[in-house]
Formats: sequence, structure tokens, C-alpha cells
Amino acid sequence: MPSAERKPDHIVQLVWPGQRAQLATLGATGKSGGAGEIFSIEGHPQFVAKIYHATTAPAHLARYRQKIQWMIDHRPELPQVPAEYQDIVQLAWPEALILRRSRFVGFAMRKITFERTLELDYLLNRRQCAEQGFDADYGKLLTVCFNLASLISCLHEKRIAIVDLKPMNVKVHKAELYVSILDCDGFHLATEDFRADAPQVTPEYLAPEFHDRAVTDPQAQDSFALATIIFRLLNYGIHPFTGVAADQNKYPLELAGRIKQGLYPYGRVAHPSVRKVPASVHEAFPDSLRQLFDRAFASPGRLRPSVREWVEELAIYASKHSGQMAPCENGHLRFGGRPCPTCIRQALIEGAEVRRRSFLARVQAAPARTLKYVRQTLRQTHSSPFQAALAQAQLFTFRQLAPPAPISTRNAIALEILWIGGLLIGLWWTR
Amino acid sequence: MDRRPADRPLVDAMSPFTAAILGTFLGLLAWHWRPPQTASLGAWVLLIAFGALGAWAVWFGLLAHPEPTGFDFWKPTVLYWTLAAIMVIVPPLGGGYPAKIILGNYFALSNREWRWINRGFALLCALLGGVNLVAAAQSSYKDWEGFKFACLVFLLTIVLFRLNFVWLPILAEVSIYLYRRAAAAWRYLSGLF
Repeated sequence: MPSAERKPDHIVQLVWPGQRAQLATLGATGKSGGAGEIFSIEGHPQFVAKIYHATTAPAHLARYRQKIQWMIDHRPELPQVPAEYQDIVQLAWPEALILRRSRFVGFAMRKITFERTLELDYLLNRRQCAEQGFDADYGKLLTVCFNLASLISCLHEKRIAIVDLKPMNVKVHKAELYVSILDCDGFHLATEDFRADAPQVTPEYLAPEFHDRAVTDPQAQDSFALATIIFRLLNYGIHPFTGVAADQNKYPLELAGRIKQGLYPYGRVAHPSVRKVPASVHEAFPDSLRQLFDRAFASPGRLRPSVREWVEELAIYASKHSGQMAPCENGHLRFGGRPCPTCIRQALIEGAEVRRRSFLARVQAAPARTLKYVRQTLRQTHSSPFQAALAQAQLFTFRQLAPPAPISTRNAIALEILWIGGLLIGLWWTR
Repeated sequence: MDRRPADRPLVDAMSPFTAAILGTFLGLLAWHWRPPQTASLGAWVLLIAFGALGAWAVWFGLLAHPEPTGFDFWKPTVLYWTLAAIMVIVPPLGGGYPAKIILGNYFALSNREWRWINRGFALLCALLGGVNLVAAAQSSYKDWEGFKFACLVFLLTIVLFRLNFVWLPILAEVSIYLYRRAAAAWRYLSGLF
């Protein structure tokens, strides 16, 4: 680290499990979040430090210290990964307390290599995904969903819940498809000997029963957020509560409002007030998945599938040996016996693109076309194929229409004199 | 303050003679400048119907013959129902869409769209004719007068469309023509001096 960056504030004490203390120097990384800033730790390249902002109230810091200390002492068992992937960090779990002049300021956690990972957010958009060097297909996406569900399930077994579960807080390993969850210090802990709440929520992923009130069942909240993430991953980023108003009722502009009102348009039974967006491919999902989605989004909270149920269901599709996924005739992976969602999506996008271009071209040409039409009207030089079609469809034809002959402005004036005459007569009759 | 002198018309009402001269002149001009192509059946039917309605208007309006008693109440209905009947009967006979002639075919609309506009006009005219009779029979004379004036909005809308899309382009063409002529005349006159 350059000497210019060595400040007294950057020298801290790491307190590892077993109260083993060690002095270390922090280095700025430029990464900052809502609660704190991320630093590298000199001499510990596999760790990073999260230092809470200096503006954090002492009372909050004290609560954080208690929580972090408990987390350091109670690291949960995580899903097994093969021996060659042991370096994968599935949870940014606290590993050591960080003190500065004997005061708690943050914690150290294992470093997630950003070069090997990408934010789950990117998987919601196939173009962004490709730009990040990840070629998404349904096999990979289902594996990511399964790994995420497995990880959360392990946490739930330890009575730990994420609560603020959202794509931004999840990293995906591009090659291995394992996931890493960030911001562990915001988790909800409810064990027999310790309890800590999760203060943070994101309305777009918040279950309807917790809008405008505290999250009283964090695991039910995780189930809802997980179902939302899975739905978005499989449906090209479309949020399950994105739709089109189908009746005169007021349709909330915000997703949060739609979640609260249960306006889920992708159920097996159509919602009376909202229609699906045309680009959705949910109809290509198997019935078992759709049933889980319906229970997650269109049923009361107590019927919502647990994370464990998601793990069991996704395991069938994430496993290559189950034979539940098969290639379509274009080589995309699809659910067995169902239409290919990738092909459906491509057809929808190409159709929409053609319609969009055609519409734009028509809009751009409208002023010139209107002027041309007015001139043709004045000169009577229309050559409309519709007129010919109409003449063929008519019951009786008294007279064959004469071929259009150009008329001058004088002819147009003559017609307008007659028209104004008619108008005056009309006025007399309606007066 | 007595403002009655200021409320008087500046000129006397047009005499029947002047009106007849003006009408004849405009009629002859229209005939002289008539378009070369044959008019459609719809145009002929409208022309005949308005010719008859116009003759009635000239006879009972300009030449001051007393109208049949109580006919006042029927007048708007006769006009609206005549228009509605023309719009209903003419299209199946291959005469085109009268609404197109009334509105002006300045919109780039398909025949299907014109068909629906024509049907809409027919329905509106039929309704207005019916409502006029109901208003005349069941409301006060003042309310009936109010209804008739409200119906003029319908005519005014059509006039505005026509003004915007037909008369203004004609005016532009005429202005360009006159400008060119004036410029040529100016060049000719400057050459003389």
C-alpha cells in the first residue's frame, strides 16, 4: 500500500474466534454501501473488512457488535461443495471483529472474487448476462435457483433468515453456478440463545402481509422473495407482479402496491383485474412449478411454499440425470413435454421488434403522408386498392367508377362551393 | 345607457334578389369549375337530396311562403333522418360512403374505417332526429331551441375539420398562385418603367 494512504485510522485490530488479536492495516477499495465501506486487509488477501460508517449511532454499533460476535461464534453449516470448489465463499459471513482503539468498528469476512462472479441482477437480462461472459440457458438458471434455495434452506434450518433477499445481494459464480450471499450482518437471527432483527426490506421483494408492518415471519418473507427471484430468473426478468390493467379499477403504479393487492397475472387461473405482459413465457413452465408460483403469489401466506419445497422441486430440474430437461429442435434447453421458452421469447421479441419498427416508420412518415394525401385529395389522384376491393364486395354496382383524373384547385373550389351550399341548407333546416 | 342604436345591423338584410344573384353566380362558377370525373352514386344522391331540401328552404325561407303549420318542429328531424337514410342505403348500392363526402376524404383511412365512420354518422343522425322530436314534444319551446343550438356543435365540428384539412390547403394553393401572378405582374410593370 502506498505510504500516502497509510492513515492512523486504517490501523485496526482483528479479533479472531478464540479472542486471538492481531494488528492489521486496511486499504481503501472504493466500495461503499448503505451501512459501511469495504476495505482490503493487508496480509490477509482472502479477507475484506466492512467498516461501519462513522455516522453510525453508538447504540446501533453496540447492537451490531453483539450480533457480529454471535455470528462469528455460530457459523452455520452450508451446502456441501465439491473439493475443487472449496475456495467458493457462499456466505459473506463475519469471521473476525474489527476494533479501532479498542472500539468496535466493523468485521472481517471472506472475500468474494468479483472476477469469477456476477450479480444475480445480470441474469435477469440476457444481453447484460452475455456481456458479462455468461451464456444463460434454462439448465444453468435452474441450477442457480436450486443452489440459492439450498443455501437459504440451510440458513433456515439454523433459524437464520435473510429478509432483505434480492438479486443485488446475491453473486453467482459464472463457471461453477454456486451463489454467494452478501450483507450477512443484516440477517434475522432467532435462535434459542440470541435474537437480532433485520431492519432492512426491499418493497419489490416484500411479501404482501408485511407491507406497512414489521416482518413477523422472516422465513415466510424469504420464501416469497425466493419465489420472486426464481420467477424472474425463469421469465426473462419479468417480475411476477408486472402486468397490464384489465379493468377500470385503479392499477397501482408501484410494484409494492400490486404485491399488496395480490395482482398476480401469471396464475393458471387468470386474474380478473390484470393481464400478463405479452413477453412472458410462464406458460412454458411445467405444472408443478406453476403450482408453486401460484401458491407463492396468489394464495394466503400460510399456503406459500417453503424454501425446502423449492429445493425439492428445483432439484428435479437442476439435475442432469433426471431427464426433466430436454433440448428443443433449435438446441435450447426446455422443460420436458413443454414448449421451448427460449424459442417463444425469440418469436415474441422478433415480432415485437418488427411491429415497433413498422410503427416508428409509419409515425415518422405520417406528416409527409398526410400532406401527400391532402394534395391527392385536391387533385383527385388517389389510387386506393381498397376502393377496388370494396367495389368487388358490393351487392349491386350501378356504375363503374371512372379512373381518377387529376383535378385542379378550381375543381376543389367548385366542390367546396357545393359543400358550403349544403352546409347553409343544413343550417336552415336545423335552425 | 341606451345602446339600442349600436345593436342595429350595419347593413340591411340581403334581399332575395341579391341572394339569388349571388347563389346563381356561385352555382355557375361551381358548374364551370366542376371536376372532370363522373360523380359517385353517393355524391348524386346527396346532391339530389340537398337540392330538394335547398329548394324547400328557398321557397319557404327566401320567398316568404308560409310553411305548413307545426312543420318547424319536424325540420331538424327531416334533415337528420334524410342524412341517416342516405348513409344507410347508399353503401350497399355501391355508392361509396356519404360520410366520406361530408367529412372530406383527407384522412388516410381504410375503407373498413370509413365504413364504421359512416355507420357512426348514420346512428348519430338517426338519434339526433329522434331526440329532436322527443324534445319538441316533451320540453318547453326554449329548451327545444337550446337543443337545436347544441346540435349545431355537430355541424361546427365538421366545418372545423373541413376548414383545417381542405380549405386551408386550397387557400395556400390560391395564395401561391396569386403570389406568382403578382410577382409576374410586378416584373412586367417594372419593365415598362
